[in-house]
Amino acid sequence: MQRYSIVSIARNALTGHRNWQRAWRSPEPKPSYDAVIIGGGGHGLGTAYYLAKEHGLTNIAVLEKGWLGGGNTGRNTTIIRSNYLYDESAALYDHAVKLWEGLSQELNYNTMYSPRGVMMLAHNVHDVQVFKRHIYANRLNGVDNEWLTPEQAKAYCPPLDIRRDARYPVMGAALQRRGGTARHDAVAWGYARGADALGVDIIQNCEVTGIRRDGDKVIGVETMRGYIQAPKVGVVAAGNTTVVMDMAGVRMPLESYPLQALVSEPVKPVFPCVVMSNTVHAYISQSDKGELVIGAGTDQFTSYSQRGGFHIIEHTLEAILELFPVFSRMRMLRQWGGIVDVTPDRSPILAKTPVRGLYVNCGWGTGGFKATPGSAHTFAHTIARDEPHPINAPFTLERFRTGRLIDEAAAAAVAH
Amino acid sequence: MSTDVDIAVIGAGPAGMTAASTAAEAGLSCVLLDEQAEPGGQIYRAIERLAARGERFAEILGEDYARGAAIAQRFRQSGAVCQAGVQVFDLDADGVLGLIADEGARWIRARRVIVAAGAQERPVPVPGWTLPGVMSLGSAQTLLKSAAMVSDVPTVIAGSGPLLYLAATQLIEAGARIEAVLDTMPRERYLAAAAGLPRALMAGGELRKGLAWKRRLKNSGVRYLSNADAIAIAGEGRVTGLRARVGHRDMDFACSLVLLHEGVVPNVQLAMVAGARHDHDGLQACWRPVLDPFGRTTVANILVAGDAGGIGGAELAAAEGELAACAAAYDLGCIGEREFERRTRVPQALVRRKKPLRRFLDTLFRPRDEVLVPPGDDTIVCRCEEVTAGELRRIAALGCTGPNQSKAFSRAGMGPCQGRMCALTISHLLAAAHDRDPAHTGHLRLRPPVKPVTVGQMAGAPDDA
Ligand SMILES: Cc1cc2nc3c(=O)[nH]c(=O)nc-3n(C[C@H](O)[C@H](O)[C@H](O)COP(=O)(O)OP(=O)(O)OC[C@H]3O[C@@H](n4cnc5c(N)ncnc54)[C@H](O)[C@@H]3O)c2cc1C
Ligand SMILES: Cc1cc2nc3c(=O)[nH]c(=O)nc-3n(C[C@H](O)[C@H](O)[C@H](O)COP(=O)(O)OP(=O)(O)OC[C@H]3O[C@@H](n4cnc5c(N)ncnc54)[C@H](O)[C@@H]3O)c2cc1C
Repeated sequence: MQRYSIVSIARNALTGHRNWQRAWRSPEPKPSYDAVIIGGGGHGLGTAYYLAKEHGLTNIAVLEKGWLGGGNTGRNTTIIRSNYLYDESAALYDHAVKLWEGLSQELNYNTMYSPRGVMMLAHNVHDVQVFKRHIYANRLNGVDNEWLTPEQAKAYCPPLDIRRDARYPVMGAALQRRGGTARHDAVAWGYARGADALGVDIIQNCEVTGIRRDGDKVIGVETMRGYIQAPKVGVVAAGNTTVVMDMAGVRMPLESYPLQALVSEPVKPVFPCVVMSNTVHAYISQSDKGELVIGAGTDQFTSYSQRGGFHIIEHTLEAILELFPVFSRMRMLRQWGGIVDVTPDRSPILAKTPVRGLYVNCGWGTGGFKATPGSAHTFAHTIARDEPHPINAPFTLERFRTGRLIDEAAAAAVAH
Repeated sequence: MSTDVDIAVIGAGPAGMTAASTAAEAGLSCVLLDEQAEPGGQIYRAIERLAARGERFAEILGEDYARGAAIAQRFRQSGAVCQAGVQVFDLDADGVLGLIADEGARWIRARRVIVAAGAQERPVPVPGWTLPGVMSLGSAQTLLKSAAMVSDVPTVIAGSGPLLYLAATQLIEAGARIEAVLDTMPRERYLAAAAGLPRALMAGGELRKGLAWKRRLKNSGVRYLSNADAIAIAGEGRVTGLRARVGHRDMDFACSLVLLHEGVVPNVQLAMVAGARHDHDGLQACWRPVLDPFGRTTVANILVAGDAGGIGGAELAAAEGELAACAAAYDLGCIGEREFERRTRVPQALVRRKKPLRRFLDTLFRPRDEVLVPPGDDTIVCRCEEVTAGELRRIAALGCTGPNQSKAFSRAGMGPCQGRMCALTISHLLAAAHDRDPAHTGHLRLRPPVKPVTVGQMAGAPDDA
């Protein structure tokens, strides 16, 4: 692997940047691997990286039906935070944030993690109480989160309108300073490059069309490029999980919804942090390119259309206009959507399945990007050892039968 | 959402006006939407105002203009509602349209939508095409038609296609200072197209009209050079000249305005956003919606007519508008089979008659490879994000196969124009790099809004500007 450093950049600049190596190979699938990962998003690629790096499993492959990061990884609004209410979630997401902090060094690839602070606005008494409860709970778990008065919120994010007579008055905010954003594609590429260097085969344009079982154990996968034998299969297919797990005869407690986002024309830096408002289902940040990146809520009905209804966007923009009147004349250039897979308690599933050798990592809903390194790290452990890491142990499939839920849905209404 | 109208027509050119007239005359409620301030479309731009203003401009713009006045008049009498100054920024498969007018964004639902959004000029990515002082020939013509504006600085026109002869002649006759007209059509094309000539001649007056424009251009006294190639625009900060190979000679021209034109391609945005299938047309080197003979797309409620479905010119556009409206009226049960056959006979015959002409013109004026894929590595392809041809070729060499993937590597197509000025070039370039058919490489995935919408407009709040 070519190492990236100031020296290598300088050397390549001299040759017109024509001599950079490909960041990863494009191998033909082998007839058999020790494990295959279905899905080349951030979570799948990360899983492969940690399998190779920390568990010595290098005869493995990632199978991606399109291209790396072409799924939700490349569509998301990249908000990172870990101030979730329950102990289990706080542990999982904070594990991820800690890995984010060192990820660029770990991968020798700039993932552009930017802890610029994530501020969640409270618009009514209920919000205030809920957020304060979150803050106390987070502190007990060693996760930073603090309460801001409206004036402090405005000082942290000057474009915010804190007039009391607004339709969505700002009554305060919870701020997690370690929260922020990262570059979405770079995460996928960084893990891909790292995994490739350790010998992992990353195979794009290779859709999995079937999962073969022998009794209660998995033996391989059918793909568009032939049958591949594997005693261990990890499914990391986000919005397509239900379809893929069906191939192994496992029904999943998931519903798929379109989630939408949009970007504006680029402008000079005006927006220093990430602002979220769960009450109005909107979140906003400014990209390094200068575009405002705006996320909306999910549609109210399930579907696989990567489009979503425009009325959701209308509602989001109404709210944003209320909170940030200065953006009235910003032009919105593009809207898109991704299919997110949502569990009944809005917490992910990172677990073994009733089929031996088959593992599943899904249910991240509207907020799995932030978890990428933590999810990948613990999932790799689960696959390699055939038992969960203590951090992901609670995120089982059985919890929907036993009732041992991790109910962030009730805790936060939405979880981005 | 309730259904607001039977038929919504997008675009008030010959196709759209005719479609709307036909639908309204058949008894359907119909609204015609266009972002221009007045109906007319591209060829009949500002037709009603100019008709009222008298002779001089009508003369410069030609006899076609008079035909437009008749189409506009029929439309005004048909009972269809005209909403000018309205941008359509979204269209979905259920026939819901997102509109922006002065008061903000709003949505309407139509039982059938006829997209008659016309054509756009093909991007011409030559070295220097992003310098201030470079415009498309069509925009110069638009300024002439809508504002009677003619630039008086030294100007060079370069490109090919029937519109080159027409628009250049119009500009010269309106008093523009044209230093030279460089025709980039390779001479061998006459040979390639010759086989189709006899049938094309029979297809109607257009070919003769085209030749007449060309003759008028040659007789205008302005320097006209054919067989030009390797166009490169020079200047620091703005245009100071243009270099071209003419025959086998390199020639330099001093000028401060360059007008480029390499033909027009269908405006596919709305039909693509609605999910209609599009195929790559190898001869016209562009994408066009897959249509049945009456303009029905692969999406049940949506039809396409006129240049938006494939370049055909004004007369064909009007006939296609008639056909699409008849198909919609028939599908909605408003006219029966006999009536449908009776009404479609004449326009169908016209469509059949024009086909050979189209083939002839498409063969003759097929853009040179150098227009589709800039040979130089330094030429900018995506002007918003300043992505060069060389960078895209490097990305292709890394294994990137299509334009949706190349966005992640380079942001090509992600700027303010959202690919309107580069989507075609990106696809053709990536296809060439992988030695593949562009049909395989695919088109940049288009997303609403197809026109930029402000937060204020979308939120329905009055703009405080
Ligand atoms: C609009 C939007 C905004 C979001 N905003 C945020 C945010 O601000 N913060 C946050 O934390 N999260 C956010 N998310 C959620 C986040 O994007 C996802 O939770 C996360 O990216 C999931 O990563 P992944 O690797 O599991 O999935 P993906 O990146 O979707 O990867 C799954 C891959 O599996 C592949 N695949 C599917 N089926 C098959 C098959 N049969 N064979 C082979 N491959 C297959 C797909 O092609 C895909 O590449 C957002 C999501 C959306 C849609
Ligand atoms: C720049 C240019 C100049 C041309 N000049 C000539 C000429 O001089 N002579 C000639 O014979 N042919 C000319 N043509 C070709 C000519 O456009 C066609 O032959 C003919 O006008 C096609 O008619 P139409 O009805 O299909 O589309 P058009 O006449 O192009 O009408 C399309 C209409 O749709 C509207 N529209 C498009 N998108 C939207 C949207 N999202 N929302 C609202 N409205 C929308 C446009 O404003 C336009 O008025 C020109 C083409 C171009 C692109």
